[in-house]
This record gives sequence, C-alpha cells and structure tokens, in this order.
Amino acid sequence: MNSHDLSIVYTGTVIEEDGLTIGELCRACDTHAEWIISLVEEGIIDPYGNEIRSWRFSSSCLVRALSAFRLQRDLGINMAGIALALDLMKEIEILHTQISLMGVNGNGHKLLKKKSN
Amino acid sequence: MEFKDYYKIMGLARDSSQDDVKRSYRKLARKFHPDVSKEKDAEAKFKELGEAYEVLKDPEKRAAFDQLGANWKNGQDFKPPPNWDEGFEFKGGGFTNNDRSAAYSDFFEQLFGQTGGQPGGRYRQSFHERGQDSHAKIHIDLEASFQGATQNITLSTPEVDAQGHVQIKHRTLSVKIPKGVKPGQHIRLTGQGSPGLGNGQAGDLFLEIEFNNHSLYRVAETDIFLNLPITPWEAALGAKIKVPTPEGFIDLKIPPNSKQGSKLRLKGRGLPTREPGDFFVMLQIVLPQADTEAAKAVYRNMHEQLDFNPRQSLEG
Repeated sequence: MNSHDLSIVYTGTVIEEDGLTIGELCRACDTHAEWIISLVEEGIIDPYGNEIRSWRFSSSCLVRALSAFRLQRDLGINMAGIALALDLMKEIEILHTQISLMGVNGNGHKLLKKKSN
Repeated sequence: MEFKDYYKIMGLARDSSQDDVKRSYRKLARKFHPDVSKEKDAEAKFKELGEAYEVLKDPEKRAAFDQLGANWKNGQDFKPPPNWDEGFEFKGGGFTNNDRSAAYSDFFEQLFGQTGGQPGGRYRQSFHERGQDSHAKIHIDLEASFQGATQNITLSTPEVDAQGHVQIKHRTLSVKIPKGVKPGQHIRLTGQGSPGLGNGQAGDLFLEIEFNNHSLYRVAETDIFLNLPITPWEAALGAKIKVPTPEGFIDLKIPPNSKQGSKLRLKGRGLPTREPGDFFVMLQIVLPQADTEAAKAVYRNMHEQLDFNPRQSLEG
C-alpha cells in the first residue's frame, strides 16, 4: 500500500427530501431569503412544511434554485420566465430519458444522441 | 498567451454599436447558457462569451481593446505592447462584480485584470465572513449506489492571490459515496467550500450526484430500466428467463402472450434509496432471420397456420 492509498476519505451527509433549511439553501445559492421565498411563491421550488421556519428543501430544490439564480443573473429572466424555462427544461429532460430508454438497443436513437451525458 | 478576438467570439463586426453588442450577447447567452444548452462545450463557450461581453459592453475596455489593432487573429500568440493601456482607466476588477467565481482567460487578466479586484484594504483584518458554499458534480457508476464506494474528485477553484490575480487551484478529494444515492441528490461536505475571511468558517461543498451511462441499465429518478431481448416464442408461450439486475441475476417469469415493449415491474429492486425505486424490464421481441431453409419453412408454416392480420385497423 503506498501513501496515496492512505489519503483522507471525506464522508459527507446526503441531502434527503427534507434536507435543507431556508438558511442553508440561501447560503448554498449565495442569495438572500426574500429571493428564495419568491421562488417558492412562484412555484419554482416546493418545500416540505407549512411555515417558512419549518420549510425543508430537497436536493432537487437546490438544483432548481441554482439554475434559477444563474438564469436570472446571466440572462436577466424574471421569475415567471424562470418558472417556464425550468418546467420546459424538465420536460425535455424527461423526453430525453424516454428516448434513451427506447434507444438502448440502437433503434434510431443516434439522431437524438446529443444529450447522452 | 493566446489572443482573444472578442468581436469574433460575439460574432460582431468591429464597428458594431453598443446595442448590437448587447443584442448579440443576449442571443448567444441564451444559446450557450450551461443550464439550457446541451451543446458539448457550452460551459466553456459561455465563459468565453461572458469575457468578451465584459470587455465590449464597457466603452473604456472596448476602446483599449480596439487599440490593439484589428490584425490579431483569435488564438494567435500575443504579448501586449508596452504602455498599450496608457491613458485608460478601468473600473471594476479582473472579474465581474456579480460573479465571484468566474475565472477569465490569461489574456483578459493580463489586459484588464490588474487594476482592480485586489483583496485586502485597511479594514480587512478585522473582517470576518463565512466562506461561500461551493458546488461540483460527481459522476458515479450505478453500482456505487448499490454497494457504496469511495471516489476521487478533482476540483478546480479560482482563487485570488495577494496581487489580485485569479489563479485556478486544483485539489483532489476522496469522497465516500454512501449506499442509496440517486441522480440529482447532493452530498454535503461541511467545511470543504471556500475558505472564510478572517476567522470566518469555511463554506460547505455540495456535490451533485450524476450517474455515468451504464451499458445495460438506464436510470430515471429512482427507477432502473432494462431492455430485455426475447424470442417470439418466449413472448407468445411465456418463459422463465435469467435477467441481470445490479444485485445479480434473477429468474424472471415472462407471461404468455406478452407484447413488444411491455413493461414488467420488479417492485423495490430499483435504486436502494430511502424509498427504494423499482426495476423495470422492457420486453423487446427480436425476430429470427429467415436465412436458412428451415427458418423459412417455420415462417411459411406460421403464415399457413395463423390467421393473423396486424393491419386490420388500417383497412377500415
């Protein structure tokens, strides 16, 4: 065994469905609570729990919030536009998954192979 | 150092108006935004575009860039002429104000990066702030979600040194992948994000799980899909078939009169997440080639024996 094998292995925590508080989500997105609240109000992300203080956000909320942040910052899209873009992108992703399921044995999926990663 | 032709990157003529610059940026940003685009090198292109826009949208930087002359080619080896920037004053640092994580090319840093953006200042010592959380994707194999694994990930972080230069630092972490993770889920490593300022705590590192493509299986959320090729007689008469799953082979019963594309569900045999997903077997009926006399005879026999018309609905 060489010294490389002895390097530290980092063990993290997996963020489950009820993983993040609003504070943690704010920090993870480097943004403020008002902005997160407006994402929830627009229906872009959907926390567990009724009150803001008991809100818990899942990993997929984090992915969507980060995407929303970048879309707003880079493209100047407003909340309604972000919601629409993310929903359409989700739909495209589902379609791509379905296509890749059909195409596993090579049934003409090469035309649509752009998104295989 | 490579010359960057910011006009070419933005698809603009050198005499384009500021409005054209803005319009072109908007258009290309939508096309190459990494969240939207599925183009292979969207992220690199988007970064390059951001850098070009940073220069061309700013009349001072644009004028300085124009001063370099129109004869440089994109990618050409470049050294700035001495005193090229005399008389220009650049506001704003080596990276945009609204994105602390952006790292620009050497070309950009050399030309525009040194006049601002220096960290420090008189009050720095007494200033404490928690470091930013950082994000990265980690690509794992499907098997890692079943057995758990330890995986190395190399992170590239832009860091600003004492002189205000942005440098990319690489570090490799060994990360434990716990059993039962699914795509899109995050592993949080406390204290592995950006370092804090002063006595501030370091931020956290969020690793988003992505699955590598598998040669047999496809994953959607927590469900796993397998395309299973079967013979026409297995489909028609029913059969017991050995089927691979990530946890080993199982005996799967194919019901008689199964149809092409039908799905058989094995409950709870998907990803072993908190609520385990299902394993779906999609039946793909494969026809044998009629390439021998015997095979042809079988097909002819089917034709004679079976009263079968798959086109009934087309005939009205």
